[in-house]
Amino acid sequence: MREEKFTITNSQGLHARPAGQIAKEARAFQAKVTLSVDATGKKTDAKSLMGIMTLQAKKGTVVTVSADGPDENEAVEKFGSMIESGFGED
Amino acid sequence: MPEKLQGMGAIPGIAIGTIMKAGQALDGYLAAYQPGTVDEELEKLNEAVAEVADALENSVEQMRKAGHDEQANIMEAHMFLAQDPMLTDGMTDKIQEMGNAPAAVLSSAAESAKIFQAMDDEYLRERAADVLDVSKRIACKILGIKEPAIGDDMVVLCGYEVEPSVIAGVPDDKIAGVIMGQGSTTCHSVIIAKSRAIPTIVGIEHRTDELADGTRVILDGNKGLIIVEPDADVLKEYEAKLAQQRAAEARYAALRDLPAVTTDGVEVQLAANIGSPSDAENAAKYGNRGVGLFRSEFVFMGREDIPSEEMQFESYKKAVLACNGELCVIRTMDIGGDKPLPYLNIPHEDNPFLGYRAIRISLNRRDLFMPQLKAILRAGVYGRAAIMAPMVVSVDEILRLRAFVREAMQELEDDGKEYSTSVQLGIMVETPAAAVMTPIFAKYVDFFSIGTNDLVQYTLSVDRVNPNVGYLYNHFHPAVLQLIQRTIKSANDHSIWSGMCGEMASDPYAAVILMAMGIHELSMSAPSIPRVKEMLRSVTFEEAKEHLAKVMEMETGEQVLKYLHKALAH
Repeated sequence: MREEKFTITNSQGLHARPAGQIAKEARAFQAKVTLSVDATGKKTDAKSLMGIMTLQAKKGTVVTVSADGPDENEAVEKFGSMIESGFGED
Repeated sequence: MPEKLQGMGAIPGIAIGTIMKAGQALDGYLAAYQPGTVDEELEKLNEAVAEVADALENSVEQMRKAGHDEQANIMEAHMFLAQDPMLTDGMTDKIQEMGNAPAAVLSSAAESAKIFQAMDDEYLRERAADVLDVSKRIACKILGIKEPAIGDDMVVLCGYEVEPSVIAGVPDDKIAGVIMGQGSTTCHSVIIAKSRAIPTIVGIEHRTDELADGTRVILDGNKGLIIVEPDADVLKEYEAKLAQQRAAEARYAALRDLPAVTTDGVEVQLAANIGSPSDAENAAKYGNRGVGLFRSEFVFMGREDIPSEEMQFESYKKAVLACNGELCVIRTMDIGGDKPLPYLNIPHEDNPFLGYRAIRISLNRRDLFMPQLKAILRAGVYGRAAIMAPMVVSVDEILRLRAFVREAMQELEDDGKEYSTSVQLGIMVETPAAAVMTPIFAKYVDFFSIGTNDLVQYTLSVDRVNPNVGYLYNHFHPAVLQLIQRTIKSANDHSIWSGMCGEMASDPYAAVILMAMGIHELSMSAPSIPRVKEMLRSVTFEEAKEHLAKVMEMETGEQVLKYLHKALAH
């Protein structure tokens, strides 16, 4: 199990498009990937578009990415870099 | 069987086709459904989810190929939702509890939709409809309800509600029109149909039941009329109209990227009137340059409390972005006692159109006005935005408005929020007082936009929907023309720009003389743009000025109308 915190940088936050990107990518990993926001206590499976949108993570929100499984390191790095690069937006 | 049904035209145009029923109520099927064991029900759910996801994947591909990207994106979101663990886990839990797969699917979907509906973000609230749409499709699969089969005929989809995914499932060369019983012209389905320009009639209530599968119908989306089983003569008449419509569409499509410029080089900017951010996206296919009137009422209507700055910001930003660098003019709240909203608290008025409304409320209600101004100033960062105040009658109002905008900027500054300092500030000229005062007003604003619907009503003291006096309503009445000419001249004298956003702007004959008066911009519902553009491109500025000189000498509106129709006949 690996866990790391990242801050949302794109101005739209985890809106439909970034949420869709995450949900799509999450299907490619064997590890179970979870996203959570400490500030609100909300938590979701990264494969769930609905769950990610209901996190209502805006610019500046700190999101914890945790992964559990054989490719957990790759998973945390992948989603971390997606969040930090602002999903290619802005 | 009825011969004719009268509804409301939501999307104009003629359609001829065969009824295909869609969006049926599931109650009957649910009552007849015989559930198996819990394991069997779970298995049915899994199969149905896989089949629906496959079907959606096909729709996405088809829509991408046909160039309907907006629709493809919606279908792709549906595809993800269909396989969403949060949604399917909820359904699985419900099946274990209820033992009935289709009922569990619908009940779980209703709970998920509620989560979205409770959100402050407009975009996320709209996702509730997607959840319900996808879930209904899964339930239909389990209940064994066949998806409508598409044959050789052009089809007219018909149901009390026709879900967006059903419309998306019928390709362009098979869909003629849509009929819905429900009366909303702004629901998701209408938005989808509008983006594909499918003639649509809404609001015939449960009379949709009278239209059986396979019935031949004609839709006249301009009149909201449905003609059932037309005879040969009527069919011939409408086939001719349809051919004309197609010819005009082809002509207009060719005009899309060309400027509205006279043969001697004078250009008028043709902008779109919109009621929601998605209208701005659809306007592009009619070749608009920017938005001349964004009616912000939709953010205020149908809710119990004052809309938040954040929610307004998201809407305005979307509209500004859709303008692709052209100006997006956002009109501040234009509501009064005729549309009572709980948070406005307006006591009963005998005459709401002469009462407490629009800017008169805004200037009096900081709690209402500040969030709106701040949201527009922040949206300005994403392109070019303008604030436009309705119903102005005095300099005092303009000065107070300017003070409000300065304060809004200061508060944004203090909060460290990003905003634009180049947002233009203008007013609607829609009262005779404002038109007369324009030489003074021009010192304090960046632009005038003439709202002819109210200007004509207030100038002629005519309520145009009153059948006893409606005949007096005429935007070519000399009194109206003089007020308009004065407004445009005042703007030009002070080097600010002038535009028009009332219905007169979409009248091609009026456009010619407005151009001759020196107007900069005409804003209208997007589908009217090509007609006006075609007219402006067919005249010279010199000849337009001659027509204007003659028109301004005339004594009645009827004379003006008759003269222009004769002089500009092609």
